Amino acid sequence: MHVFRLLKPWPLLCLLICSLVAVPTLTVLASVLQPFGSEWQHLAETRLPLYLRNTAILAVSVCVLAAIVGTATAWLVTACDFPGRRIFHWALLLPLAVPGYLAAYAYTDLLQFSGPVQTWLRETFGWGRRDYWFPAVRSLPGAIAILTFTLYPYVYLAARTAFIEQSSCVMEVGRTLGRGPWRGFLTVALPLTRPSIAAGTSLVMMETLADFGAVDYCAVDTFATGIYRTWRSLEAPTAAAQLAAVLLSVVMLVVLIEVLARRRARFYQTSSRGQPMRRAKLGWRGSLAAITVCGLPVLLGFIMPAGIFVHMTITTGDERAFEVVTDFGRNTLILAGLAAALAVGLGLLVAYGRRLSGAVSFAAGKLAGLGYALPGTVVAVGLLAPLSWLDHRINDFLAAMFSWQPGLILTGSIVAVIFGYQTRFLGVALAMIESSFDRIRPSMDDAARTLGTAGVRLMLRVHLPLLRAGLLAALLLVFVDVVKELPATLMLRPFNFDTLAVRVYLLATDERLEEASFGALVIIAIGLLPVVVLSTLLDRHRKNSPIRNLDEAAVR
Amino acid sequence: MKTPLTISSRPVGPTGSAEAVSPPAEASPSELKVRVRNVEFGYQRKTPVVKGIDLDLHAGRVHALLGDSGSGKTTLLRLIAGLEPLNAGRIDIGEQSVSAQAKHVPPEKRAVGFVFQDYALFPHLTVQQNVAFGLKHQPRGQRRAAALEWLERVGMEDFARAMPTTLSGGQQQRVALARALAREPQVMLLDEPFSGLDTTLRDRVRETTLRVMREAGVAILMVTHDPREALIVADTVSVMRDGRITATGRPHEICIRRWEYREEGGVQVCHECVEVCAG
Repeated sequence: MHVFRLLKPWPLLCLLICSLVAVPTLTVLASVLQPFGSEWQHLAETRLPLYLRNTAILAVSVCVLAAIVGTATAWLVTACDFPGRRIFHWALLLPLAVPGYLAAYAYTDLLQFSGPVQTWLRETFGWGRRDYWFPAVRSLPGAIAILTFTLYPYVYLAARTAFIEQSSCVMEVGRTLGRGPWRGFLTVALPLTRPSIAAGTSLVMMETLADFGAVDYCAVDTFATGIYRTWRSLEAPTAAAQLAAVLLSVVMLVVLIEVLARRRARFYQTSSRGQPMRRAKLGWRGSLAAITVCGLPVLLGFIMPAGIFVHMTITTGDERAFEVVTDFGRNTLILAGLAAALAVGLGLLVAYGRRLSGAVSFAAGKLAGLGYALPGTVVAVGLLAPLSWLDHRINDFLAAMFSWQPGLILTGSIVAVIFGYQTRFLGVALAMIESSFDRIRPSMDDAARTLGTAGVRLMLRVHLPLLRAGLLAALLLVFVDVVKELPATLMLRPFNFDTLAVRVYLLATDERLEEASFGALVIIAIGLLPVVVLSTLLDRHRKNSPIRNLDEAAVR
Repeated sequence: MKTPLTISSRPVGPTGSAEAVSPPAEASPSELKVRVRNVEFGYQRKTPVVKGIDLDLHAGRVHALLGDSGSGKTTLLRLIAGLEPLNAGRIDIGEQSVSAQAKHVPPEKRAVGFVFQDYALFPHLTVQQNVAFGLKHQPRGQRRAAALEWLERVGMEDFARAMPTTLSGGQQQRVALARALAREPQVMLLDEPFSGLDTTLRDRVRETTLRVMREAGVAILMVTHDPREALIVADTVSVMRDGRITATGRPHEICIRRWEYREEGGVQVCHECVEVCAG
C-alpha cells in the first residue's frame, strides 16, 4: 500500500525535488565513508581542537546572550508601556537587515587602533600606543558581541509573537495566586513562551554556526572558516567535506532539539480568543531602564553599523558606486530573482504535495528544510563534487556523440550557485508557504472537491489566492537571504560574476572598506524590506486574517 | 417520571447495525437516492472507525445521525461524499455505484452537497462567487443568474456582493447551503450545521434550511449530537456508537428507547428529548 502511495505523482514529485535539493547534505554525510587522509590527520593534530573550542564557545555564548536580549526586549514592548514603545516594537527588528559580516567590517573600522575612537582617545588624552587598554574587536569576544547584536531579533520575533498570543487572563490568574509582576513573568509568562524562545534560539545557533564572513574578518577560526581554508588553501576537498560532516552532525542535533521544542509548544498553546495582554505603565525610572534595554540593541545592531557606512559613503565616497549598482547589482538581482522564484515554485509544489499526501511528502519536506541549517560553506563543498562529476559525464557524452565539449556547464555557470541557494533557502520558502497552507482549513479543500474542483484547479482557484501573501513573503525572504548570502556565493559563483556581498567581502579583506561602503549600504537597504514586511505582517496577522475573520464572524 | 408511550423498536442486525430502514409507513413513498451497505473504514486498517454500516436515504427526507463525539458520524458522511475511500462494503448514489472495494469515484464527480460544520466558505470570494463556485460547466452569465437564484431561495440575495467575513454565523450557514444546493446534488450531507448558532437563530435557520432542501427533493443526511434536534427535524434517526449503528427508527421510537436505557442506567439521555416526547 505504501509503495503504491509513493508511486502517485505528488509524493513522487516531492521526493524528487527534495532529494535533488538534499544532494549536498547527502554528499557531505557520505564523505565520512571515505578514508581519512593525511590532510585530515594534519587538521586533527593542529586546527581541529581550535575549531571545536571556538565554535562551541561562539555558539553557546551568542545563543545565551541573544536569548536574554531577545526575550527581555520582547517582554518589555509587549507587557510594559513606556515612551517610544511603539517605535521599539518594530525598530528592534532592524538589526535583521545587517548581515554579521557587515557589522564586523563597520565595528573593526570604528574600534581598531587606527580607527576614529582610539585615535580620538590618543589625541584627547595624549596617550601612546602602550598607555591604555582597549578591547580588541577582531577577537572571539568581539565576534560574540557582533553576532549577538545582529542575531537577537530571531529570538525577539519568536518571543514577541508568543507573548502577544498569551492571554492576559493567564497573567491575571498568576496575580490572583500571589505572583507579582516580576515573579509572574518568571513563573508564568516565561515557561509558556519557552518553546518559542527555544525555536528562536536554535535559529540563532544555526546562523552562528553558518556564519563565515564575521568570524573570518574577526580572525576567529571556526568550522565555517576551517572548511573554506581546507578546501581553498589545502586544496583538500575530501577533508573539507569530512570537516563539514562534523559541523553537519551538530546542526542536525540543533534541528532535532528545535523540532522537539516545537512539539512541546503544542501543549503550551493558549486560546486565541483570550483577552490581549494589558500593558503595565512604567514610572520614569522604569521607563528609562526600558528605553536603555531596548535602545542599546537597536543602536549596536543597526544604527551604528549603518551609520558608519553612511558616513563612509558621504565623506570618502565610493568611486565605483555606479558600477556597484549596474554590474554587481545586476548580478545580485539576477541570482536573487532566479533563486527566489525557483525556491517559491518548488516550495509550493512540495507544500502542496505534503498537504495532499501525508507521510512520504512530509519526510521529503523535512529533508529539504534541513538545508536552511547548513552553512554556505558546507553546501558549496557538498555540491561541487557531484556537479563536477556530472559536468565531466556530460562532456564525455557530448564528445562521444557530437565531438563537442561545451565545458563546465554546471559548475562554470550560475546553475551551481542557484542550486546551492535552493539547498540553503528552499526551507525558508517552504516554511512560509506551509504556514500559509496551515491557515487554509482542510474543510475548504473538501468543500471545493464536493463542488467539483480538485487537483491543479483546486490549487489555482482556492489555494493560490489564499496563499498570495505567504508566497510574496517567501519570495521576499529568499530574495533578501540570497542578497546577503556570502560563503556559498563566494565558493560557487562563476568566474567574473561577483555579487554585492562578494564584492564587499573582497574589498573589506583588502582593507578597502571605504570603497565597499556603498555596496554595504545597498545590502542593508535591501535587507530592510523583509523587516518592514515582517513587522507589518505580524501586527496585522491576527486582526486582518480572512480566515480568522471568518471564524470570528461565525461566532457572531 | 415515566410517560406511557408506545414503543415500536426495529430489529438490530447481527453485526450490531440496524437493518436499513425504509421511509416511515405514514410518509409518502419516495425515491431511494443513497444505498450504503456493510461499509467499513479506518484511518488505520486495524482500528476501524466505522463498521458494518447499512443505510438508505430517500429523496426529500431527512435522516439524522445521532451519537456522541468520536462515534463515527462525520466519518460516515465523509465516506458517502467520497472524501475517504472505503475499506469494505459499497455505496450507491442514484443508480451509480460510487464506492466499493476496488472502486472509488472522487468527490468532485459525485452528486453530493456537503455543508461543513465550519461552513468552509472561501474567504477570497464574494458570497455570489462562492455559490457559483461549483457551476464551472455553465457560461458565466448563467452561473451568476443561478447563484443569485439560490441566494434568493435562502434569503441572502442582498448579500451577493458581500465577503463571507462580513456575514454572521447564520448567514454563512445559508450561503454554504445555497452553494452546496446550486450543483443540484442527489444527496445533501450536513455535518452539525446548526451547532455554531445560538438557540433562537438555530431554530430559524434550521427551518429555512430544511424547507429549501425538501423543496429541492434531495435526500438529506444530517449529523447531530443533539437528540432534541434529531427529534424535531428528522424523518428517520440512526444512533451511532463506537462506529456502529446501534438503532434506526422514527425519532420518537429512538427517543423512547434511549429514555428506557436511562431508566436501566445504560446511557446518558437528553432531558429536553424526553420532554418533547412526553409533550
